[in-house]
Parts: sequence; structure tokens; C-alpha cells
Amino acid sequence: MELRDALLRIAAARPGVLLAVCPGATRARLAVEDELRRRGWPLVLGPAQADLLVVVGESGSSGPEDWAEALWNAMPVPRARVVVRHAAEAAAVLDRGSAALLAPEARIPAPANGPAGGEHDHSGHDHGGHAGHDMSVDAHEGHDEHAGHEGHTDGDAHGDAPDPDSGHDMSHGEHAGHDAHAGRAVAVDGGHEGHDMHGGHDMGGHGHHMHHGGDVNGFPMASQAEDRDGLKLDRLHVPLGPALADWPTGLLLRLTLQGDVVREAAVEPLAPAHHAAAAPYPYWSEPWLRAAAGERVERGEAARRLCAAHLDSLGRFFAVAGWDDLVVRARRARRQALAGAEAGELLTAVRPLIRRAERSRTLRRLMAGIGPLGADQARAAGVTGPALAAGGDAYDRMRCWLDEVGLAAAGCGDTGTLDPEEGDGPRGTVAGAIPASAALLGVLPHMLQGAEFACARVIVASLDPDLDELAYTQSNLAGMNHG
Amino acid sequence: MAEAVGGADSAPLWTVLVLPLALVLAALAVAAFDAALAGGSLRTAASPVREVARLLVKQPRRTRSDDVLLLRAGVVLLPVAAVLAAVVLPVGFGSVSDLPEGVVWFNAMEALAWAAVWLAGWGPNSTLSLIGGYRFLSQGLAYELPHMMAITTVALAAGSLRIGDIVRDQAGLWYVVWMPVAFVIYLLSALAMAFWGPFDQPVGADIAGGAAAEHSGVDRILFRGGRWLLLVVAAAFSVPFFLGGGHGPWLPGWAWTIVKTAVVLVFLVGVRRQVPTIRMERYLEVAWVVLLPLSILQALVVAVVVLNR
Repeated sequence: MELRDALLRIAAARPGVLLAVCPGATRARLAVEDELRRRGWPLVLGPAQADLLVVVGESGSSGPEDWAEALWNAMPVPRARVVVRHAAEAAAVLDRGSAALLAPEARIPAPANGPAGGEHDHSGHDHGGHAGHDMSVDAHEGHDEHAGHEGHTDGDAHGDAPDPDSGHDMSHGEHAGHDAHAGRAVAVDGGHEGHDMHGGHDMGGHGHHMHHGGDVNGFPMASQAEDRDGLKLDRLHVPLGPALADWPTGLLLRLTLQGDVVREAAVEPLAPAHHAAAAPYPYWSEPWLRAAAGERVERGEAARRLCAAHLDSLGRFFAVAGWDDLVVRARRARRQALAGAEAGELLTAVRPLIRRAERSRTLRRLMAGIGPLGADQARAAGVTGPALAAGGDAYDRMRCWLDEVGLAAAGCGDTGTLDPEEGDGPRGTVAGAIPASAALLGVLPHMLQGAEFACARVIVASLDPDLDELAYTQSNLAGMNHG
Repeated sequence: MAEAVGGADSAPLWTVLVLPLALVLAALAVAAFDAALAGGSLRTAASPVREVARLLVKQPRRTRSDDVLLLRAGVVLLPVAAVLAAVVLPVGFGSVSDLPEGVVWFNAMEALAWAAVWLAGWGPNSTLSLIGGYRFLSQGLAYELPHMMAITTVALAAGSLRIGDIVRDQAGLWYVVWMPVAFVIYLLSALAMAFWGPFDQPVGADIAGGAAAEHSGVDRILFRGGRWLLLVVAAAFSVPFFLGGGHGPWLPGWAWTIVKTAVVLVFLVGVRRQVPTIRMERYLEVAWVVLLPLSILQALVVAVVVLNR
């Protein structure tokens, strides 16, 4: 239909992009982000709002553990998916993605035999990579099935929806989904019970669902436990997944929530792609690692990389704090730093950012007292770098980053040789026994206990571990074992 | 029966149809302004229209074990609440229906937004979505009482709950001059009721969009559009309450209303860029311990003035 095609063309011109970044793909991610900003394509917060799924780097997992697949299944049509493996191909791949949105394949909903084979495999729902959807893996499965049933029960009502375009699309999607199911035993509770449950009803409908001894639509009811005030509240197991917006790449955090308070947290770094042959240096720590390996590295280059790394972390921190203006500034400054701007230019870019963040009393009052990590505690846990130097709460760590950004920006032009003994990488010492980020991940669970969700996000953002370092160490060890 | 519901200022019937359209146009204009501010150039001002076009072709989405009825009810309720609240909004000196208890009507319709956002967050059966819904409730607890005190102060000064009377009473001196505290509190609550700017925790980025995380297609258009409508309506109400309504030299009443509303909206939209998102755990304390006593004191001052004149 003319109108729908015109709207699709508008959608394809500026699709909402969901970034799924795999560990070890920092350079490609930076290139993709710059390219997206240049085109003005919005970065969306979740699969519900996304048109184009851009997988950056190579995932180390596949099959039922593929969290990128789970994201794909949770996206509504029209949708397209592309993979960016190298920084150089970012622009071409994005063009391809935009073109793919106009193709008829973009409107085919996924078949319902998605990953994790249905609700009986609860580990499947735990791998819902995105943002703690308990059902993201099965979302499409459930959704398609429901859509199919809706097509059944109120087929005509939908077809005649007053909204000509979306109604048309809906029925197209639903009937396609329905046809895909025709004659298949639907995995969800068997076709019939799924159909009965379709009437809606909530996960709280204790009285209604007598099936499965406490299971609702295949999911077990939340167990109860005492909370900090001694009340018995439900405990939810929520995985905060790798594709969450403004989240450290490759980090999967399994939270146990009561209400929105974190009771337990368990860190689960994602497995990197197995390329034992060529393990690239983690992008942010590269200058120091090269210097430690014996190469001659300029101090200016290391300063520039440090500045960009902290600006990257600050960008995520301000995004979690909800201050869009500073996010834009930080990302712009990061781009300039990595593009080789002179020290003077870089300073003019970062000074307003530093000044505004330091002067903001609201920010201070909001961030004070969150995630305290005393210097002694940090040293005992093996933490190095800014988290140790700040020796305080999230606000102090942010100030530490800002100070280091200012110093590093001023030192961009230094042509002296980098001494591997002096100076830390962005997260801490690169030459230590364990990667600096591993120590940060070690203190994280304890710091998150008892924190409200927003505070938990601030704590993670203020530590900002770089899981590329872990991926590098693991691949190196694997390489050594093989070779 | 001229004294029936409409009162002396009852407007003709076509205004009932024009009102939602006018509000939608105003909301689009404000959204374009915000997009231009965010993008830094005028080209990005078209993005709201582009967003609507993009969302129209998206498939509506269901999640597992979701409660579709309540979800859709919540999503639809938000714009409806905004339009209903605007029924008593005077453009110039005439509103669609100048109810004798217009202030209470405004407050009641804006309270429907509480239900709307919570239902929209609860419906999809998603953790982060639910957290967003509950955040809005705690935000409501924080802003509602000072807000009600502020608008009660206005009604107190005019001696009437009818918005037409409140506007008439400001023919001489605008209320903002002698109850500035109430004005500031009102602006803060306008931001909070539309969960905009520093009060956007319910749909915050840290919970992947919060109450709006699982919406797609038309649901999303309705919810986001409802939010813009609510912001426009809340800002528009500050004009008859505090800024003299349609009073002013040279221009006709309706033009003054539009100009004053535009000024307030520019300020409200701009404030978002200046301040990070305020978390309710920190704000609740401020709201109850600082703002509420201040608003009561302001009411006391106004009451004394009213008694003495």
C-alpha cells in the first residue's frame, strides 16, 4: 500500500538502532556509535522500540545461549539485523541494514520455535539478554502465539481496525505468525492450555491458575523471602543483560530483586569469541600493554587513550544519571580525542563538561553516599586506578575521572616515551596479576547488596569495568594452552 | 438554565472537537522544539513527526502473560486524562466548559495520569516496566501534596474554584507577584506530573525506558503523545493560575494565553538539559520537609492578605 510504503521509507531513513556489543569489539563499537551520530539515527533503549539490530563484534555464544538472538526475537516487525565486525565496515553495514528494512523479509515475524525451546527450559529465560525481561526469550514465541490466537478469535475486528495502516500490518503479522503455527504443537504449555491462558491475566492471578502447581503460563511463581524490614516479599531473579543501554559491554549481572531493591548480585562475564590465534589487545589498555611488551609508545598517545576511556565511562555515567546534555558533550569530546585533536582543542571541548559536572550541586546531592568503597577496602580487594584513588562514593569516582580527563587532555601532545612502570591504564594497573577490571567485578556484588535499582545502576556505572580486559586474559590463556 | 454546568462562559460545541486537535498540534510543536534543542539544529525538529511515522508501521507487541486490557487502558488513559483536564482551560477568557469547580476538576483529571502510568508499567509483566510504574507512584507522593496546596492557594486568593473567576481576579495584579512560592511549586509539580525533565525517572534510561519500555507501535504513540499533552496542559494551566490568563495590553486574550504558555513551555523544556534526573529517594525528603511547609506558609500569607482586603 502506498501510504505504508511511504511510512516504511521514513522508518528506514532513520531506523531506531539497538546495539548488541560483544566483548572485545570496542573499536568497532566506537566506529558504529560515531557513524550513528553522524547520520542522526537514534539509539533506542530496548528491543520494543528498535528497527535495526546491530550486532557489533562476534558473539562467543550461540544457540540457546545467544542473547543477540533473544533480542532479535523480541523486536517487532518491520526489523532488520546486521553484524559489524570491523570498524572500517561500519558505514557500509549500516547502509545495508537500512536497505534491508525496506525488503519484504523485514516484515516476517520470527518462527515460534525460537531459542530455549519453550518454557520448560527456565535457563532459557534466564538468558534473556536484554534488560531483565523474564520472558524476552519466549516473548516472541508467546507473542506470536498470542498474535495468532488473536487473529483467530477477533480476526475480523483486527482486520477492520480503524487505523488502516497499522491494522493492516497487524493482521499481516498475526496471520503470518498464525500460519507458521498451523499444525505445529506449540511449545508453550501445549497448544490448548496456552490458548486458555490467553485470556490475559496476570502473573498475580493466583486464584485463576491452578495448573502446574504454581506455574503461570510456564513460569514458576516467584518465591518469597524476608526483606530488609522483615516482610515476606517476592524474590525475582532478573538478569541484567549485555545489551542494556549504557551498560558495560559483555557484563551479565544476575540480580535477585525484592521490589526494586537488590538482594544479591552475581557477576557473569560473557564468554568471548574464541579466536585463540589473534587476541587483540583490549582497546582501552592497549598503549600500556604495548609498552609493557617492549614497544615504544608515546606518552601523548597513552594520555589521549586515557582521556577517551574516561570520557566513554563518563558518558555512560551521565546517561545513567539522566543528564543528556553532558552525555552528548562527553561523547563529542571522546570522538575528538580519538580522532587526534590537538591538546588545545581537546581542552576547550572538555573544560565546559568538567566545569558543569563539578559545579552541579544537584548532581552532588544525588550521587553522594552511593556505592562507598573505602581506600582500605579497595586495596584489600586488589582494586587499582581511579576507584582506589577516589576512595569514596560514586561522586568521588566521577570527580576522579573528571580530573584525570583534564590532565590527560592537557598531556595529549607529549612525545616522550611511556614508561610501563609509571601510570595506570584507565581502570587500573595493566601489568598486575589479575586484570584491573577483574578486581572491580570482584567488589561489585558486595557493593550492590541492598541498593535500590537506580543506585545499583549508578554503582555499576561509577566503577565501569572493562570486560575486554577479561576477554583478553582468557584468550591469552587459551592461546597459551593451545600453543 | 444558563447557570447549568457551563455557566456564563459556556463555549459552542465545535470547541469540543477542536480542543484535542489544538492540543495535539501544540504538543507536536513543543516536541519539535525539544528535538531541535537536543539535536542542536533545525533539521532535527522534524523528528517527532518522523517518530510517529516510524511507529505507525511497527507491529504492536505482546509479552508473555501480560495483561493486555489494563495495558491498553493505561496507554489510552494518559492522553485522555490530558484532554479532559484541558476542558476547563481558558484560552483567553473562554474555556470549553467553565465548571464551577474547575480547579478540582483539573486536579482530578491529572490524577488519572497516576493510574495510566502505573497500568502501562504493570501490564507488560516485565520487571523494569513495573519498576517504572512504581517510580511514578512514589513521584506522585512527592509532588501531589505541595501541588494541591499551591492550587488551593490560588483558589483561596480568588475566593472561588471556578477558573474563570481566578482569571478575572488577576485583572489588576498577577498572582505570581504575590505568591511566587506557589508558582515555583506549581512548575515543579507540572514537571513531575508529566514525568518530564528532572522527573523522568518513571521512563528513565536506567530502566531501559521504564513504564514505556515494552510499548511498540500505536501504544507507544499514545503513551508518549499523552506525556507531551500532559506537559502542554500542565504548563498551560500555569497561565490562568498565576500569570493572569488572557490579561495584557494590545493583543487579544487568546494570543496572550498562547504567548505566556509558550514562554512557560520553553522554560520547562529547557530545564531538562540543565539538571540530571532527580531520584525519588532523595526528592521525597525535600518535597515533604521543605516544599510542603513552604506551600502551607504561602497559603497562610495569602489567607492573611485576603482577610485584610
